[in-house]
Amino acid sequence: MASSLVVTCPECGTYNSASASLCRQCGAVLKPERAQRPRIQKKLLRRTDFLAAARANQANTRRLVLILVAVACVLGYLIGWNIQIYAQAPAHTYGQPAPGDWSPWFFSAWGAIGAAILAGVSLVWTFVAFKAGDRIVMRMTGARQVGPDEAPMLNNVVEEMAIAAGLAKPKVYIIDTPALNAFATGMSPGRASIAVTQGLLDTLNREELQGVIGHEMGHVVNWDIRYATAVTVLVGLIALVSDGVLRGFYYGGGRRRDSRGGGVVAILLLVFAVLAPLVAKLVQMAISRQREFLADATSVRLTRNAQGLISALEKLETSAQPFDGANRATQHLFIVNPFRNFSEKASALMATHPPLSRRIERLRNLGAKGY
Amino acid sequence: MDTGAWIILALIVIFILFMIAMYNRLVALRNQVKNAWRQIDVQLKRRHDLIPNLVEVVKDYMSYEQETLRQVIEARNSAVNAQGPADTIAAEGVLSGALGKLFALMENYPDLKANQNVANLMEELSSTENKIAFARQFYNDSVMSLNNAVQSFPSNMVANMFRFTEATYFEVPQAETAVPKVDLR
Repeated sequence: MASSLVVTCPECGTYNSASASLCRQCGAVLKPERAQRPRIQKKLLRRTDFLAAARANQANTRRLVLILVAVACVLGYLIGWNIQIYAQAPAHTYGQPAPGDWSPWFFSAWGAIGAAILAGVSLVWTFVAFKAGDRIVMRMTGARQVGPDEAPMLNNVVEEMAIAAGLAKPKVYIIDTPALNAFATGMSPGRASIAVTQGLLDTLNREELQGVIGHEMGHVVNWDIRYATAVTVLVGLIALVSDGVLRGFYYGGGRRRDSRGGGVVAILLLVFAVLAPLVAKLVQMAISRQREFLADATSVRLTRNAQGLISALEKLETSAQPFDGANRATQHLFIVNPFRNFSEKASALMATHPPLSRRIERLRNLGAKGY
Repeated sequence: MDTGAWIILALIVIFILFMIAMYNRLVALRNQVKNAWRQIDVQLKRRHDLIPNLVEVVKDYMSYEQETLRQVIEARNSAVNAQGPADTIAAEGVLSGALGKLFALMENYPDLKANQNVANLMEELSSTENKIAFARQFYNDSVMSLNNAVQSFPSNMVANMFRFTEATYFEVPQAETAVPKVDLR
């Protein structure tokens, strides 16, 4: 692949420029022969600084959400532009040059309207998702709510973490399955829910459970659930509209092919409609991976103890129990991906979680700093 | 009005908006500190309520440790009666020390650890200890945020103007740093 302009990080699947020595996402060494250079050494040290990475993650997420919104707007503009060309281009264009100085290269007002419509629809849709999201998720995963009488320790640990974060205590749920996993949902830190599996309760000790609950509380504090919902809505919208455009080309294409220059714009739309859903999906997964690192860092900030989460993640890594209650729509909510073979290096760009080994490594690094 | 006047007017409006934003942030921080202190208070009260129950249950098993139990009860009573933050912090420190000693001694009584009642109380008490620690952690974090805002430029000007003062940290008393860890699992 010597001709390639990009290399894929073997650790997290992020694209990097071919000249990069380190992965810009996870800091993995891409060019081992350069690893000993002092400049790279210094960079390596900085990349594993967990708290700095957490701050950078926040900024990255915002940038990625903006990219998604931009993709949706460009899509809307291209559609509006094409419709305007179709409606306004001189009619007698079959095989003949259009008269006068007419050209499709103008600022399209209809395009601007199209962009605004897509932005508006994504807003409204997101709002609806915020209203009903958590209840739907809980029903999908088969979680049941438990009070302090039924699960005193779990309720206590959740309350402890809520106090550490300065939030109201979230609702506590248990999922009856031997698999080891946990997730958080809820649309605002004020009314959140945390669910853990029975297997997790049976396997982890108090300190480890605290680390896991801290991680989930991290998702709550950082508004991750909201981010995830908004992103899912945007990705869904882009996929839906792109799909509609492609169908439109399939059934109705060809008629305006000859309008002068308009064909180029149509091809532009076609290419974009093919690429946009792909880009959106990649952005979504990148956001999810970054939020996992951030939640790990938040867990340590709340518990002031990296060891609990480290040993919990190690136990999760060795457990091979699959979890049936998750599906593609909810997988990004869990502390570890419920589908994947955890030890496998997540080579795919589509991974929602970073490899556990890398998360543990970062936590160790943080632990060495005195937490 | 000419352009210059408009620009000056715009600058004044922006300045005022900045002042309002800083003032509101200071108010939010001060309220967070107050609320965090109340959280600590809630957990301390809970600890005071739990201790008599625990002593009642364990005293039959631990007949040789009357002195320790008496110390715990005394420390608990003086903590209940403490007035003001400084007194409270000192008295709670003594109580934590006495409790720590009791928890450590209880490790020597296998019968005690097997008792479900005691196990439940211990989970409640050690959780309450954790909650006090986490509430204190959050309180101190809140104090730091407030103090940073009060001291640093430019919010210190707004703070001076409206008499926002620094809050005091909840320092860990010396005795409490030596609390032994209890794990009944």
